[in-house]
Amino acid sequence: MPASSDPADGDLELAGVSYSYLGRFPALDRVSLTVEPGERLALVGCNGGGKSTLLKILAGLAFPDSGTYRAFGHDVTEDALEDEQFNEAFRSRVGFVFQQSDAQLFSPTVREEIAFGPLNMGLGADVAAERVDDLLRLLELEELADRAPYQLSEGQKKRVAIASVLVMNPTTLLFDEPTAALDPGTQRWFLDLLDELGRSGKTLVVATHDLATMDRLGQRQVELGEDHRIVGAD
Amino acid sequence: MTFVAEPEPTVPTVPTVSPDWLVGRDVGLCPCGCIGRRRRGAVLARTIDSAAGVTRQAMTADETATRDGLLQRLDPRTKLVGLLVLLLVASLCRSLVLLTVLYLFTVALAAASRVPVWSFVKRVWLFVPLFTAVVVVPATLNLVTAGHIVVPLGTWFGHPVGVTTQGLRGAALLTARVATSVSLAVLVTVTSSWPRLLSGLRDLHVPRSFVMVAAMAHRYVFHLADTVTDVYTARRARTVRPESTSGTRRFVGASAGVLFGKASHLTSEVHLAMVARGYTGESRSLRPPAFRAVDAAALVAVAGAGCLMLLASRAGLV
Repeated sequence: MPASSDPADGDLELAGVSYSYLGRFPALDRVSLTVEPGERLALVGCNGGGKSTLLKILAGLAFPDSGTYRAFGHDVTEDALEDEQFNEAFRSRVGFVFQQSDAQLFSPTVREEIAFGPLNMGLGADVAAERVDDLLRLLELEELADRAPYQLSEGQKKRVAIASVLVMNPTTLLFDEPTAALDPGTQRWFLDLLDELGRSGKTLVVATHDLATMDRLGQRQVELGEDHRIVGAD
Repeated sequence: MTFVAEPEPTVPTVPTVSPDWLVGRDVGLCPCGCIGRRRRGAVLARTIDSAAGVTRQAMTADETATRDGLLQRLDPRTKLVGLLVLLLVASLCRSLVLLTVLYLFTVALAAASRVPVWSFVKRVWLFVPLFTAVVVVPATLNLVTAGHIVVPLGTWFGHPVGVTTQGLRGAALLTARVATSVSLAVLVTVTSSWPRLLSGLRDLHVPRSFVMVAAMAHRYVFHLADTVTDVYTARRARTVRPESTSGTRRFVGASAGVLFGKASHLTSEVHLAMVARGYTGESRSLRPPAFRAVDAAALVAVAGAGCLMLLASRAGLV
């Protein structure tokens, strides 16, 4: 495991985390989990087991009802993320690719979409444009640069969604059902990308039902059961 | 001693035997052939298709913003301030002639900005009657606006009722105001990219929450149009017999609830996706705004022309 020596690339630690929607529908029940830097983790389990919720908590987009979440040595709470510096530091380290690409693509053009993150990180327009061009080239999206994201196919949307997160160069990448609704060609492309990201030392957490993704990810699997608890880990 | 075995926990199982009706053929199906009796497409279907089409057209208008036209060369802040000035002029101007000149000037600006003129005019005039008719029609009658009756409509409780010259003039003035104002607003939005426009609003100190709501609304409207179309199409696919009007009404009511739920969920997801990529309420663009000499000249010209029009209108010269 290519663990990083940079303390800023520390563990993601969930301790006894519970979460319920509207206070009535449990999604996670006393989940404890540590993701080490550079680790590749497959999050598996039944539908409704709480995988997406767990990813949202890891991304600092939902906050536990009870239990704690620490990332890079700091507690991640709603209050902490209101701090401008911590928010910027956390958001630029953790990238989240949503299951539903449509929710993630909201800008008028693919180019603006990919630039959204770096511009919000405070990078200058020139640097952001350079990064966008690199990503367009890398993910073979150059011809789509000036198209509206909603005009694209599902596979193209997913590639733009991934580009919009990769452009921020996060150390940790969270993927929610990344291969759902993708054709076999795009799935192969995604798995190759996952390999490359893993080799470069990125921390990868992937919620998936897809056996090929689980095999390719390979390192560790954590299973969430119907009772919203971790029932098994390899 | 006897041991009583504990009962096995009840585990829900997937039925392995399908019901008979599912594996058999339904009897009495309608013969599969034409009988020559046709129905026109439902009003609801046409309305939904048109609404979705208009929304899509509006969303693709961003392509107009990238054309090399007159207004596209201006800084979005210049356009926003200019819009504000001209909207004020349109609201305060009492001359129908001057309002018509302002409207024609707007259409000329659209042409110079390479906006398709016919669709621009059509888009505005499609909505103007809708929003003004309710106010304008009663105002033409002598019951609301006293004056000389030019079109008598009979008597009501012994009083003559009809359309007055003053009422018609007031209606024309209001319609011209609305048409000009809507045209100006549409022109600014179609000639500016949305991120730059939002960024311009923030630079002009428009509250962050307002800009955020506008950004979310714009980003969501296309999904909403698509969802409406999908919900209706899914229903149409399962509608075997002609629907009654009351059934259609019930469907519209129920769909509104479903859409609200879906809209709320997706809006929340979109917002989370924005926050995950560092969004804090500020809108930023790849092309930062640049205020140049041409912007200053445009502002001076708009302000000067606006003042002249208002003075002429107040002095009753036109």
